[in-house]
Amino acid sequence: MPGRAAARPGSEDPAARPSPRGAAPDSASAVSSSSDPAAEGDDAGVPTARTPDGEGEPHSQHRDARLGSTDKKLKAGATAAGSAPTAPRSSRQPEPRVEVMDPAGGPRNLLPRPCRVLVLLNPRGGKGKGLQLFRSHVQPRLAQADVSYRLMLTERRNHARELMWEEELGRWDALVVMSGDGLMHEVVNGLMERPDWETAIRKPLCSLPAGSGNALAASVNHYAGYEQVTNEELLNNCTLLLCRRRLAPMNLLSLRMASGLRVFSVLSLAWGFIADVDIESEKFRRLGEMRFTVGTLLRLAALRVYRGQLAYLPAERVASKVPATPALDRQDQQGPVDTHLVPLEEPVPAHWTVVPEQDFVLVLALLHSHLGSEMFAAPMGHRAAGAMHLFYVRAGVSRAMLLRLFLAMEKGRHMECDCPYLVYVPVVAFRLEPKDGKGMFAVDGELMVSEAVQGQVHPNYIWMVSEPSSRLEPQPPPPSQQPPHVPPPEDPV
Amino acid sequence: MGGSGSRLSKELLAEYQDLTFLTKQEILLGPTGSPACARAHRRFCELLPLERRSMEESLQARVSLEQIFSLPELKANPFRERICRVFSTSPARDSLSFEDFLDLLSVFSDTATPDIKSHYAFRIFDFDDDGTLNREDLSQLVNCLTGEGEDTRLSASEMKQLIDNILEESDIDRDGTINLSEFQHVISRSPDFANSFKIVL
Repeated sequence: MPGRAAARPGSEDPAARPSPRGAAPDSASAVSSSSDPAAEGDDAGVPTARTPDGEGEPHSQHRDARLGSTDKKLKAGATAAGSAPTAPRSSRQPEPRVEVMDPAGGPRNLLPRPCRVLVLLNPRGGKGKGLQLFRSHVQPRLAQADVSYRLMLTERRNHARELMWEEELGRWDALVVMSGDGLMHEVVNGLMERPDWETAIRKPLCSLPAGSGNALAASVNHYAGYEQVTNEELLNNCTLLLCRRRLAPMNLLSLRMASGLRVFSVLSLAWGFIADVDIESEKFRRLGEMRFTVGTLLRLAALRVYRGQLAYLPAERVASKVPATPALDRQDQQGPVDTHLVPLEEPVPAHWTVVPEQDFVLVLALLHSHLGSEMFAAPMGHRAAGAMHLFYVRAGVSRAMLLRLFLAMEKGRHMECDCPYLVYVPVVAFRLEPKDGKGMFAVDGELMVSEAVQGQVHPNYIWMVSEPSSRLEPQPPPPSQQPPHVPPPEDPV
Repeated sequence: MGGSGSRLSKELLAEYQDLTFLTKQEILLGPTGSPACARAHRRFCELLPLERRSMEESLQARVSLEQIFSLPELKANPFRERICRVFSTSPARDSLSFEDFLDLLSVFSDTATPDIKSHYAFRIFDFDDDGTLNREDLSQLVNCLTGEGEDTRLSASEMKQLIDNILEESDIDRDGTINLSEFQHVISRSPDFANSFKIVL
């Protein structure tokens, strides 16, 4: 458990304090106050523009046009009413709100209105444009939508993680991460490292893309039914989703490394081609945006294979089998119990599938649909609660084929290539052991070295701003509300 | 290997040190305890006919590209032909002298700076030697990777998609080509470069 870090909030931007009328000082349009009745229904009035087969107008344009007309309505409302609220909102005592995670069954899947969010932003991320994008694209929309915020700039690696150890979470209705998947990774791990992790992890999270490593944002964009877009368009869509306030539960991946380190992943674990970078250089500890550059071609030129052993528990096999006794970490009360995992020193349980030791090009465990804003890696459908996508590419694939697969992945058509070297299976747990020394893993884009790693999914464990899918079953209550279930030991086969 | 009369004299060693980026330390001792330069010399001599392996002859000799390609370190490298042409000083750029060979090795060694490496990488990828990487150069680059066979090359639309992606990422001034500084900029952000641009005998 971390000691008390000398946490200083990232430089607090005075201009970021919620202003009385909810408007950014430099915002061009006259935005009405939150008390304007015209503002109340407008969010609901914005139609859910779902893409029919991805055709028709680009979504983001469509959406912006409607926001534009909403702006006009609000302006008209403001000038007509003419009156200012009597007191600036920021000086009022915070009124009691319905706790989002109300165990009694309150509005669990919706952020309150108005709401307060903490925005964590890495100013050096996304080619240094993150802060600028926040000001130009996010801030005005939050103001319109009664979302007040405080901006915290992160100064270095693990800063966000440390901030989460100390933060008084009751002050916020949601934590907004505007940076990349790496920052969300830090936030989630920071929350799980708190003594009150069981409630802390239920704090709603939101991912806003800021130019690098935006797989989460791209995935949420996809779940909402929007067209695949990038950059500012993606940012607009995700900001809109935050303003709409809907929440959906997401899976969390619990990982255990050979060293004993336990880490949580919100997105992915990659080994091999994707993760093989020069970890010596400090600036490359994080992968950044997954996309095609000259660098990727170079890696393709130097294509090598990675020897390893892979095993997994297929999702379809779980219902019919009682999970193995959780022999791991009985003393470790921090974090959920990984009921499917046995210690790394022991062989995997008998009901797991073992892939014979061989040469791989890559192995990827993925919790979401996208690996990057233009890498639609898991088109096979919305990740079912409790399952994640497992891909692996066996050695023998040619450079041409691999290149083709990555190109096809932009539109999610790589599975149609019928490449015999590419294998996909939905799983709930896996174990990966590199056999040529230590392996390089990328967890949510964070580079780690380990001899072996295993992990399992915890279904519907975190809450994120996202359109809930109508295809999902009604949400079960978060696991921490249920009494821990310890199954009887399985009879030896 | 080696033997009579093929050890480099101190004077020659000093001269080669000035010409290349291998430090004297490395030339004399090397990271594994053997002289990197002398090792290079031995490997070079192996490509020469027996009767031409004396010190004087070997320093004058030129080796054809095909022979250089036979070196295991280069055999699997998809860019071996461009690499050799860039370092060749013969008029037809079809052969390498020992000096050329040393230049090649020094650029690909651990001691060459990223700037030097990226500068040479640029020249290697500039197939038409016109000082920029245009769509045609990039296309040839990709074809080196995929192979030229009918069933392995990318289709025209795949190629276009790939090159569009690369230019989107690298072509800062949006002129449709990648110049040296744009190339060095994108390379500096790529962690793969150091690993891919390494040849150690």
